[in-house]
Amino acid sequence: MSGDDISHQILAVIQGIPAGANNEDLEKSLPDITAAVRVEGLNKLLKQGSIEILKKGDKLFYRAKDPKKSALPKDADNEEKIVYGIIEEGGSKGIWIRDIRIQSNLNMTQLNKILKNLETKKLIKAVKSVNASKKKVYMLYNLEPDRSVTGGAWYQDQDFEAEFVDVLNQQCLRFLQMKRDNAEKKREGPLAFKQLSCCTVKEVHKFISDLGISKVNLDEDDLETILKTVVYDGNAERILMSDGSHVYRAINSPLAPPGLVQMPCGICPVIKNCSTCGDVTPTKCQYMKEWLD
Amino acid sequence: MSIDYGNLCSVILKQCFGETVQLVGDCLFAANARSLGNIVKSTNLTRREVSTALGILIKYQLVTFQANDVNPFMAEYSLKRDEILYILRYSRYVHLIQTKYGSVGAAIAEELLYSGSQTASNTLLKCLSNNEINEKVETIRDTFVQMIRDNYLIKLPMLVPTESGEPELVPKLHIEDYDLFNPPEIDLAMLAKVQARTVQASQLRDAAVFWQLNFKRFHQDFRDQCMISAVERKLGSSAAECFKYILKQMYERTDPWQRQCSNPFTVVEVKQVVEKNSSNLDLIRHLDQYVALLADDSLHFIRKIGEMGGGQYVVDLAPAFESLALACIENVITERFGSKASRIFRVVRMKKYIEQEDLQKEAMVPAKEAKLLSYNLFQEQFVQIKTIRKAGGGGTGPAKAFYLFYLKYKQIAKMLLDICFKALYNDITRSNYEKNEHKRLIEKSQKLDSIVATMKERGESLEYIAEILETLTPPEREILDKVKNRIKTLSKAELSLDDTIFLLQMYLYHSAQVSVAPATKK
Repeated sequence: MSGDDISHQILAVIQGIPAGANNEDLEKSLPDITAAVRVEGLNKLLKQGSIEILKKGDKLFYRAKDPKKSALPKDADNEEKIVYGIIEEGGSKGIWIRDIRIQSNLNMTQLNKILKNLETKKLIKAVKSVNASKKKVYMLYNLEPDRSVTGGAWYQDQDFEAEFVDVLNQQCLRFLQMKRDNAEKKREGPLAFKQLSCCTVKEVHKFISDLGISKVNLDEDDLETILKTVVYDGNAERILMSDGSHVYRAINSPLAPPGLVQMPCGICPVIKNCSTCGDVTPTKCQYMKEWLD
Repeated sequence: MSIDYGNLCSVILKQCFGETVQLVGDCLFAANARSLGNIVKSTNLTRREVSTALGILIKYQLVTFQANDVNPFMAEYSLKRDEILYILRYSRYVHLIQTKYGSVGAAIAEELLYSGSQTASNTLLKCLSNNEINEKVETIRDTFVQMIRDNYLIKLPMLVPTESGEPELVPKLHIEDYDLFNPPEIDLAMLAKVQARTVQASQLRDAAVFWQLNFKRFHQDFRDQCMISAVERKLGSSAAECFKYILKQMYERTDPWQRQCSNPFTVVEVKQVVEKNSSNLDLIRHLDQYVALLADDSLHFIRKIGEMGGGQYVVDLAPAFESLALACIENVITERFGSKASRIFRVVRMKKYIEQEDLQKEAMVPAKEAKLLSYNLFQEQFVQIKTIRKAGGGGTGPAKAFYLFYLKYKQIAKMLLDICFKALYNDITRSNYEKNEHKRLIEKSQKLDSIVATMKERGESLEYIAEILETLTPPEREILDKVKNRIKTLSKAELSLDDTIFLLQMYLYHSAQVSVAPATKK
């Protein structure tokens, strides 16, 4: 029997006795488990935080904890309870300190004290939001912050990983182009070519997962955002399918670089100031000189 | 019309016709119409000089004149501003004719461009005296007539004879539409007499009928080429060929300069044309698919409007040039601000209206960079900001407002066009500057070349020729080569700049709102 099963059995027994079960109760209900195994199971449950130990006289009692119910200790005062309640309502998105103050009607110093208190007890935690670097939001300690707060896979410690995105963007494009080249070789008429060169997000996801360039796990939504950037770069187009999903295919730009950008004036940052007199003139132009030599 | 375009016109006129014409041109550019006296006064030129300049400009069809509404004895002159730019396209026109009609056609086109406008007989005479053309006069005439039939040449308005037979003070010119492409009768026997100088040229029957290149027809070809090459780049050569035949079919029933979209054509018609003319098996077999592909593409070149005859389509010129112009704008942004900026531009384009925060999320660009780039784009007026204020809010606290980015396509296109004009002006100015700076050297080498040529004719010894050539020292030769290279680069840039200008002009033309026909005159 594995350790997991034992702890589950023990937990079931403990949950059966709301007042708390002692060692004897456990022995009675689970006679075929040795003391050593039981201790191991209990330790595991304690670690998970699904039971707590109480002492009555010189006997130990184990009581099940409701994971959803507030784990606020009994000695907490009214203010703490209210603040805790407000933070709990904020859920995984967290709540801003100003909103807590408004809702609780407490003054700043008192609120700060309470929050610090709760934080040291590891009941709540402060998370920095990616949207505003100075804005801290509070949420319950055991909650996983929401995507909108951490920014999802593209953020590491509130920093946007631009390089990672660029690499993925290039790989996605490479995949789409590969697909198109393969389709071109088949020569089955233009419409078939178009259909064959289309890729679903799933295919791209598989390709990227197999490549193994990503340390974090990316889901299909993440890749869809990357594919969209490929579209925004003008290297692919997004086609709506009849079932409401989108497919992507690589395309070429319809125009060669226009004549304007082939000479310095097209990309000149000071073209607005350029005239026949003054410091910026076509005859004295430094950009022109570099271009012509 | 912008200042930049005015400057450009000014240098073009100076380059082609000299300073006097430039002054008169500038003076006319600034006003709708001016009388002779007015021009004399504001340019400080003599009456004779101004008249000559106006004569030149009228001959080249760059100025029109018309009797004043109040005083019918006074002529008012106005500049055809758009057509001045065409002067820079002359080499392209000749090249197009060269590919269509060979060197004879090119010689005719060149002759007409040099002289601005010319009678048929005179053009033929000039071509005959051209040493490079060894064709018979019949071939030249046939080419000339064929060019008229294909609308590459156009008849100019003719003098309206007055009732009394005396010339009016301000002559009136007029031509009916049906007569524009009516080929002239060319009397070859008379022509031979004129060539032998036994008859005066003014006695020829067509002495009063002048011809000019029909620029619109050329632009139509350029436009087609522009669209076809875009299809080729995006969808491959067979699709491009398919589109070529679609355009051909379109012109059967549509005025080439219809603005928004063409009149409908059907797939069956295109099929007939393709089967008759094409040898591309892939295209013939998959024609339906190619048409569907074109209609389905994001370029929006053609649009399906019905099922008649295997599918009824129209060529959608306005959206087609919008996509092309946007591709051009995006290209410029990529080169000027980087690829991230063009990504931001496309996000704004696809989302129509978008806030800064959503923008950076959608484009996956770090917040700081996204702000920098989008504000840069805003500063250079590639994107616009719309502010939506929330009503109320009172005096206290920050006012709630949304700042949304959006695009004004036409405004961007006009701005780019102005930049193009400025760039072209800079290009020509720089080129003139280089020529002026090294005038002495260039003249020296030209003189030397002509001396060497005559010496070779006389059969002087090679040693002597080499000695003469050495008067141009190696460092001088080096500078000369450098300058020549620079001028070559500049003139190449001039041509490719014109491509961009043409594309943007086409976009502005086709996207212009169709003006409702004016109310009937009372």
